[in-house]
Amino acid sequence: MYEIKMPRFGLTMESGFIEKWFKKEGEKVKEGEPLLEVSSEKITNEVVSPASGVLLKIMGKEKEEIKVGTVIAFIGEEGEKIKEIKKEKVKLEKITKTAETKKTPSVKVAPPKRGGRIKASPLAKKIALEKNLDLSSIKGTGPDGRIEKKDVLLYLSSVSENNAEFKIEKLSGLRRTIAERLSKSFHAAITLTNTTEVDFTEFKRLMKENKVSITSGLVFFLSKVLKELNKFNAHFDYDKKEIIIYNNANIGIAVDTEKGLIVPVIKNVDNLSLETINRKIKELAYKAREGAISENDIKGSTFTLTNLGMMRTEIFTPVINPPEVAILGIGRIVKKPVIVDEDKISIRDLAYLSLSYDHRIIDGADAARFLGKLAKLIENPALKLKGVKRKTL
Amino acid sequence: MREITFAEALGEAIYEEMEKDPTIFTYGEDVAKQGGIFGAYKSLLGKFPERIFDTPISEEVIYGSALGAALVGMRPIAEFHFADFLFTGIQSITLQIEKIRYMTGGQGKLHLLLRGPDGISNSAAAQHSESIETIFMHTPGIKVIIPSTPYDIKGLIKTALRGDDPVICFEHKMLYKTKGPVPEKEYLIPFGVADIKKEGNDVTVVTMSRMVHESLKAAKELEHEGISVEVIDLRTLVPWDKNKVIESVEKTNHLVVAHETWKRAGWGAEIASVVQEEAFDSLDAPIVRVGGKNVPMPFNSLLQDFVTPNYKDVIKAVKKVLR
Repeated sequence: MYEIKMPRFGLTMESGFIEKWFKKEGEKVKEGEPLLEVSSEKITNEVVSPASGVLLKIMGKEKEEIKVGTVIAFIGEEGEKIKEIKKEKVKLEKITKTAETKKTPSVKVAPPKRGGRIKASPLAKKIALEKNLDLSSIKGTGPDGRIEKKDVLLYLSSVSENNAEFKIEKLSGLRRTIAERLSKSFHAAITLTNTTEVDFTEFKRLMKENKVSITSGLVFFLSKVLKELNKFNAHFDYDKKEIIIYNNANIGIAVDTEKGLIVPVIKNVDNLSLETINRKIKELAYKAREGAISENDIKGSTFTLTNLGMMRTEIFTPVINPPEVAILGIGRIVKKPVIVDEDKISIRDLAYLSLSYDHRIIDGADAARFLGKLAKLIENPALKLKGVKRKTL
Repeated sequence: MREITFAEALGEAIYEEMEKDPTIFTYGEDVAKQGGIFGAYKSLLGKFPERIFDTPISEEVIYGSALGAALVGMRPIAEFHFADFLFTGIQSITLQIEKIRYMTGGQGKLHLLLRGPDGISNSAAAQHSESIETIFMHTPGIKVIIPSTPYDIKGLIKTALRGDDPVICFEHKMLYKTKGPVPEKEYLIPFGVADIKKEGNDVTVVTMSRMVHESLKAAKELEHEGISVEVIDLRTLVPWDKNKVIESVEKTNHLVVAHETWKRAGWGAEIASVVQEEAFDSLDAPIVRVGGKNVPMPFNSLLQDFVTPNYKDVIKAVKKVLR
């Protein structure tokens, strides 16, 4: 018999949140087959079966947070008996048993009450408990209005349609982490945002020529500015009143995935060529979207870049990713008439850069300087690309 | 596969075992010359004249002598003429046969088989129609087997004749002439293993003996209405296959228990109790029992039909639990 324990994805992981079981109790599993999905505070990973056999018992239910190392399931041979294991759930947080979608149906139903007691079959009660449903909102069709399994299932299917007034969803592990981190950042930092409109015409052309993305180019130039204004390439420890300034830039890139925001990190950007940066970003973004990202991939960023350029947003106020001190946002690149060479009008590619910064550490003038330097590089990209790039310059 | 009758399968089992084991002998009222009042021993007529013989009408002596013979190492098969008459010799069974192995600390083996007909027939009235298997489920110390098919009786009787415990076998009068497939090759059926006579998903019907056939008939009719019934034949009542019943209830979430004996405190109540104790959360409706009405069996055939459960009662019960 194999005990499946809550895995540890990284050194700091103390508990895991069971997102989903791919197998049911009694189902056969093969070694290496995905068994369940677990998320830590940072990432969501698939856990594969360490052995072939039958999934005898699931101790850790979906949407439960469980301590690392605790037995969450048993795999063995059919009919094997399981010794009783006490489940140690994390006590720090009260996690409701399930996070099934709960909605109120638009059709109002009279609860099948008599003398204040709701009649329901044992099985119906059990399912309702598992699915976190309120029996009083389910109409019973059995004898004397007793709620039966079919009534609970009907209710479940009706509420999953779009006829509900609203729905309540429990946050997934990843969303909870995002919420916690951002609220911490927002309440702690004194966040201001400076914006400036930058001419991307030349930059865009060069990136296209070099077959790299706008984001890759920005990361490349950002690292140059961060080197000069290294105050931005830092972590802030308010309790110790210390700023840790890093020599090398690890730039986090916000990636929009189905499950929410993930920020993979390109390490030591200073030492990387534009092509390497481009390749790394592609790899990490792919991994993030496929849910295959490792904890190491999202660790240790010193500055974050968020690009909403592919969507319809020009100016926005990004929220700092703590313990960093600033974050740069870029909006959509739009063609606009611009006055060039004193009195000539030309059509150029323009976009806004939005730099949010923690005013406890960085002043408005610092931010303006940062944006100024970056804008200058973007508007004259050949200056910096010289020597790094092969052709075109 | 060849088909033989229930009585022939019983005769075959006894014959085959008698050939192997010289300690087996069988007797009762009208078994040797007549071949049993319902023809149970017809296929044994003329066989083993020394070891198959008739006795006077004295139940007390028939059961008591079986007890004595078993204690000295023989394997008697004693026939009770009608299950109803078990009561006339009941003390030999409930006070002696069921207790001796325990009271001697297991020194006395008690390999004896009591067997005979039970259940209704055509207007046999109150003293010749009873099914009293529940009595022997209630009083511990004897194994109770109640086959419903030729295949089952052959396998179960052979198992009974090879064990060391007293066994009582009830054979429904209406089943002796029914035919069914029985392989020529030897096989045994262990006690405590129920047989799913028909698989289904919506409701489990646990039953035995004649009611197995009524339940199968009910299941067939209900199939037309889109109701899928699982029919479980326990085959042995002591011990009974709790696991198979609970597994089935976990699948169907509905249970009907059907037997011919009286509903009041019939063995169906025991099954229902155990299932609600051990599989409460799997139940989607109260368990419903089908059983005989709580009266002595009337002579009048219409009244007999009225008090005896049949497939229509099973259909009603299934619809009630699925309501």
